[in-house]
Amino acid sequence: MEPLISVKNLKKHFYVGEGVLKAVDGLSFDIYPGETFGLVGESGCGKSTVGKTIIRLYEPTDGELVYDGKDIYGLSRKEMQVIRKNFQMIFQDPYASLNPRMNVEEIVGEPLDIHKVYESKADKRNRIIELLELVGLNEEHSMRFPHEFSGGQRQRIGIARALSLNPKFIVCDEPISALDVSIQAQVGNLLKDLQDKLGLTYLFIAHDLSMVRYISDRVGVMYLGHMMELAKSEELYINPLHPYTKALLSAIPIPDPEIQKNRNRIMLEGDVPSPINPKECCRFVERCRYAIDKCSEETPEFKKIKEDHFVACHRVGVKYIEML
Amino acid sequence: MDNILDVRNLSVSFKTFFGEVEAVRDISFTVGRKQTVAIVGESGCGKSVTANSIMQLLPMPPAFFKSGKILFKGEDLLKRTDKQMEEVRSSQISMVFQDPMTSLNPTMKIGSQIVEGIQKHKNLSRRDAKKKAIEMLELVAVPEPEKRVNQYPHEFSGGMRQRVMIALAMVSNPELLIADEPTTALDVTVQAQILEIMKDIQEQMGMSIILITHDLGIVADMSDKVLVMYAGQILEEGLTREIYKNPKHPYTIKLLESVPRLDMARNESLHSIEGTPPDLYIPPKGCSFFDRCEFALKVCKDYMPQFHQHNKTHKSRCWLNHPMAKGK
Repeated sequence: MEPLISVKNLKKHFYVGEGVLKAVDGLSFDIYPGETFGLVGESGCGKSTVGKTIIRLYEPTDGELVYDGKDIYGLSRKEMQVIRKNFQMIFQDPYASLNPRMNVEEIVGEPLDIHKVYESKADKRNRIIELLELVGLNEEHSMRFPHEFSGGQRQRIGIARALSLNPKFIVCDEPISALDVSIQAQVGNLLKDLQDKLGLTYLFIAHDLSMVRYISDRVGVMYLGHMMELAKSEELYINPLHPYTKALLSAIPIPDPEIQKNRNRIMLEGDVPSPINPKECCRFVERCRYAIDKCSEETPEFKKIKEDHFVACHRVGVKYIEML
Repeated sequence: MDNILDVRNLSVSFKTFFGEVEAVRDISFTVGRKQTVAIVGESGCGKSVTANSIMQLLPMPPAFFKSGKILFKGEDLLKRTDKQMEEVRSSQISMVFQDPMTSLNPTMKIGSQIVEGIQKHKNLSRRDAKKKAIEMLELVAVPEPEKRVNQYPHEFSGGMRQRVMIALAMVSNPELLIADEPTTALDVTVQAQILEIMKDIQEQMGMSIILITHDLGIVADMSDKVLVMYAGQILEEGLTREIYKNPKHPYTIKLLESVPRLDMARNESLHSIEGTPPDLYIPPKGCSFFDRCEFALKVCKDYMPQFHQHNKTHKSRCWLNHPMAKGK
């Protein structure tokens, strides 16, 4: 299958007072049509920057993004606007991402206005109501303002807005992290339903690994701007290879007292180091219990270990799979 | 068992422009010595208000106590004056807050903040207090404590700041520690470190903990007893094992189902609870979970269920426990 978008050697560096902050440093992956690609990692690992750079809210420092045979980073502003209809984003904070002075009809209708995709006012209104119904709201909500809604409902409004232009690809930047557990499940299921109905492709960014597993088909694990591991969702959770992925999975508490209290957990020492002026080596070397000299000398290559399973680690090879 | 804290029929409300919000409605529970009691629930269920009521940190007005007693070692905290309460807060009950970014003073060195806490209740010279501060940082596993005491909060990461907060809470060697979402703002790997430290300290110092969280994984990891709160009420109470293995209240059952689990096969869809919690301006007359409950009976709408004791430690508040509901 041809990938829908193909990210090649994506880099985003920020120039800050102390040097270069390498938020994203050479990421390559493909996203196939109709799939959900999960991107996980701890705060500061660069996962949100990836999302924003992909839809060009940030200009990339280097790299290519191939969509429909074209590198969209090379397009002009005008050409970009046409393409952008296909790329939408759902944001994390349902309180900050909706304009408090606009009612729901105006919020959901704004993209329609910008791209002038309706013929008459009635046409536009019908489209808005159709969108609201699609996300589980209804016509009577259209005249209300964001403060009248709960967090879960606001997120639904954000989703309706993202869907208004019939996009092919949606970047979901932690869309459910700010919600309660029972509401998270509602919104998670809604995103899945919409995907089935409309044939959407998602880049799903999150730090909650257990939720990502439910939603994603493939999952990439990031650490300090590098991709550490990439595999099919089930494979990653059953058979994680990178020491960081293992530690991350082991840190998640399981809601069952008997299993949780008898679990053998891997504790990571220390914190995530600063992404400013990082050394050219494995980014995880300081916290890795399997580190050898080679790890602090050269950056491991992001290589295929088996079908659909990629890892960037010097110690993971045919010989070491058992050991790690 | 010897209870350190005994909350009886506590109701707390807030007076607002639109009317009275009944944030906590008639809750009773006890905390035993060296016990960890977890209060779980979704946002707005009243778990933080409960914690702040024990410490009496609620702004009054708008908040006021409608009824109830908070007995700490047999004495009612609600009858104490502000001054007496300050003494309790400085030496017997401590609290750790959710946000380690805003609960430290950014203009004071970490050491000075801990020294201030120590000198408040112990007659120590500055030098001795500083020594003690270094010891406290060692206790919470802050690396290089001699160097760290002279640094400012902005030089600490989130996880390190939360360690400092725990150190600050522990300086007075309290008998009860209230931790209000202590790891919600932290990454999972750091969260695991902080929880481990809290367990270690409890082992060493033998205090009781009230842990407030929405994360059912953390509850399973840390607690002895669980209170499930919803819309200002406790709907179910039991030992951790009982709550997870044999939940009785439909809300607890649904809540446990809605959490995706790493150790279980991946299902096609998640179990969600439809709808949203009720508005506490006009709390429902009957069971507060009525409109989201799939087992709801006619009686649930207008009559509040009473607690049903399943065994000595496990009770729940649901009409399904009533002998006449057996036929459902």
